[in-house]
Amino acid sequence: MTVTFPSVPAAPRPSSRRARTLRVLTRRPGRVVGLGIIVLFALLAAFGPLLYPGTIAVDPEAVYAPPSAEHWLGTDFAGSDVLQEVVVGARYVLLTAAVAALVAAAVGTLVGLVAGFRRGLADSGLMRLTDFVLTLPGLPLLIVLSTLWSFGSAFQMGLVLGATGWGGVARAVRAQTLSLRERGFLEAARGLGLPQRHILLRELLPNIAPYVAMNLLLSVIGFIGAEVALFFLGVVPFSSENWGVMLNQAVFSGGVMSSPEALTYLLAPLTCILLITLGIVLFMDAVDELFNPRLRERS
Amino acid sequence: MNNARRAALPLAAALLLGTTAACSPGAGSSDSAGGGTFTTIDGNHPISAGAPMNPFNAAGNTFLGYDTMQLGFTKKNPQDPNDFFPGLARSWKVTDSSITVELEPDAKWSDGTPVTGEDVRASMAIALTQGSATVGAGLLTQGLDVAEVKETAPHTFEISQVPGAKNVQFPRLVLTQKIVPASVYGSLLPADVWDVIHASQSADPGRADAAKAAVDRLNEIGKKVSAFAPAKDVSAGPFVITRVNPGSAVLDRNPHFFAAGKIGPKQVVVRNYTGNEQIWSYMTNGELDAAPFTAIPDNVLQRILKAGNRRVDAVNYVDAAIAFNQGVAPFDKVEVRQALAHVIDREAVTKVGQPVGGTASKATTGLIDKVAEKWLTPEQQAALDPYRHDEAKAAELLQRAGLTKKDGTWHLPDGTPWTLTLQTVNGFSDWIAGGTVVANQLTAFGIPTKTALTADFSTYKKEMADGKYPVGFWLTALGPGTDAAFQRLYGADDGFTAIGATVTHKSGQGSGNWLNTPTSFTLDGATVNPGELTAKLTVLKPEEQKEIVQQLARLSNQQLPVIQVWDYTNVQFVNDKRFTDFPKSGQDGLLSNSPGVWMMQGYVQPKKK
Repeated sequence: MTVTFPSVPAAPRPSSRRARTLRVLTRRPGRVVGLGIIVLFALLAAFGPLLYPGTIAVDPEAVYAPPSAEHWLGTDFAGSDVLQEVVVGARYVLLTAAVAALVAAAVGTLVGLVAGFRRGLADSGLMRLTDFVLTLPGLPLLIVLSTLWSFGSAFQMGLVLGATGWGGVARAVRAQTLSLRERGFLEAARGLGLPQRHILLRELLPNIAPYVAMNLLLSVIGFIGAEVALFFLGVVPFSSENWGVMLNQAVFSGGVMSSPEALTYLLAPLTCILLITLGIVLFMDAVDELFNPRLRERS
Repeated sequence: MNNARRAALPLAAALLLGTTAACSPGAGSSDSAGGGTFTTIDGNHPISAGAPMNPFNAAGNTFLGYDTMQLGFTKKNPQDPNDFFPGLARSWKVTDSSITVELEPDAKWSDGTPVTGEDVRASMAIALTQGSATVGAGLLTQGLDVAEVKETAPHTFEISQVPGAKNVQFPRLVLTQKIVPASVYGSLLPADVWDVIHASQSADPGRADAAKAAVDRLNEIGKKVSAFAPAKDVSAGPFVITRVNPGSAVLDRNPHFFAAGKIGPKQVVVRNYTGNEQIWSYMTNGELDAAPFTAIPDNVLQRILKAGNRRVDAVNYVDAAIAFNQGVAPFDKVEVRQALAHVIDREAVTKVGQPVGGTASKATTGLIDKVAEKWLTPEQQAALDPYRHDEAKAAELLQRAGLTKKDGTWHLPDGTPWTLTLQTVNGFSDWIAGGTVVANQLTAFGIPTKTALTADFSTYKKEMADGKYPVGFWLTALGPGTDAAFQRLYGADDGFTAIGATVTHKSGQGSGNWLNTPTSFTLDGATVNPGELTAKLTVLKPEEQKEIVQQLARLSNQQLPVIQVWDYTNVQFVNDKRFTDFPKSGQDGLLSNSPGVWMMQGYVQPKKK
């Protein structure tokens, strides 16, 4: 019997990898725009609070002031600068979403890989656990949890969001693993007696990496929505620079539905969320091509 | 307070709790030729789809002053707790132990049957099943301790207080009970209900178990009453509910109402709302003829006025304050509380927290400024410390308390950096906004401060009582009675309980004492106990209260158990497009009641075309 190994291209050298990445990124202008948006917000999250050290100033004489040279995006209910709030607030929102997405991707991938590859009892046990996580009503659960946990830190919030949001990834990764484990190259690897760890990490993982990477990016959008919703509902600690709190205050205190004075206060965080979503969606196209060997081969 | 609505909820509660101010009696036409639909909202609660038309149900779809009647409607007169607009009672006479009420002889239910003493008797019994019943004399805020309802003449009844009890608020409590038809609610009461009530009121220690069992039975009856869903509304008020939809309740004029000739609108529509923003939207669209107090930002106010609504202001006997748990260091030190009062710029906080419905408090006295001005002499008012915004003075006071400033932040006497969490409630938009400014001012002064939110007001009250919050927003100066106002500072929240004439004090876990104010102070060389003084106010007539009120106001100003930040103003809106003859700003008594009560006094007449 003849064993046929899949033709895996030789690993490119670092210089050619960089060139290929650049080529993939620049192939379509949308990808560059997407990356630019993501980098901009990442920089805001990293350095935004450093731009405005100390507490955000209030000015009771300039409540809901319109945009001006002094306040580019106007002011909020306490006369604080909306631009400053958006910039300072980016760190919490993005860090939370990043932590949550990483936790969900890591746990979901691990559970899906092991369940799909090992099958049997491990598969049953892990999938029942996954089903349990999937049946948890996400937002209501978080609302209940918020009465017990203050969620003052982005890591705490991210961990909780991630810990309740990995079920979908696990299910999908398991399905992909079940499909891949019957492929010839995995049968060959098993036939060669390669250790399970090698098979999981070196053979299976690279093949599901594109899916995981895409899911990670998409889940960032979902987690931003979830955390902003929690703050919008007002069930987590109040912080005037939080984007969800800004939306809440604009609607419920600023009367943006009855009066346009608080419109920039509402639109500023909303636009940021939309821009991040747009950036991720545009950039995902490039990620797909970078990670997917088939698309890569065509390039 | 949903969000912004809840900001108004404590105020609505305050309006219901207190007694109120005088104003001129009826005006406007008594001709009822008019009609039209009067549209409003009920500030106490939105429409609850499916809830019964039962005033004793927490979510019940009944509307005070429209289809739900009392014997009288309070004018909130701070000098006279027994000043009322007549309701089903035409007149009343108060003695030390009872109130004799003469019913309107023409008062009838909407089914055409007359309102009788049996209805009043059943209503009082029901009121005692609704959590008013207490063993013995109860807490400082004494319950409605009705012992008997006796007919003394046709349409005239004597309602007597439990023997030995002397509560200056008794007439107010009696007159403000909701009167319901015995033909509808009477079957819910057991035949021996008054025997149970008498047993529950026994102050005999030997019958304590029987009293407790009676209270439990009353509470059981109360649950049955509040769950009851009448098949239709039977009203003795100017309107009767025709239908309740999820979006609104429709009430038609009650042809049997004893003063139907005064009622202008043919119909009242009470709209549902999910939050303040929806009420603002109704007003900016010109859809409401009158709207009660709603927390409102200045930009929305301008839109509402532009839409043709007119603002009417009345005094509101409540203010927003920052309260301290003196059981937590360093708030046990008076210098620290005074220093914080100097750091907080109340004008700035009010501009952000309550720009429309608030006035920065002039001084902390335990009373709103307008009431304090009536009770204190000009000399005493001048001697009050206003705690003006003065950071140098604040620094001096903190240093005197042993705190030090290093690297721009204040440190406690043991050297640890002092950080502060100012607690407030989710949805109380005015407290949250004001708290943001307070936190900013304190942080800029060197006390890093953050605001924290509790999920809802009931949790807030519970956790406050458990002593979980060292500093938090609180409603104080609830009046107009001075006894009620000072109970916010030196009542149950401060561990004081009055049983008969004996005042006791508790502290520690489970006591409900979270203010932890010391029990004695030296004032003018004499030792005073604020809890005992406050308890005395509940049995003294207003004219006898002056000395104690002055003592407590001065003591509160010196000791600052709370820092009063702003006095609320009862800002309402009326729209002259369809109706005219609305009450005007300053008619505090009328404006503290619903438009249904205005109509009973002859106000709100259809506009002539």
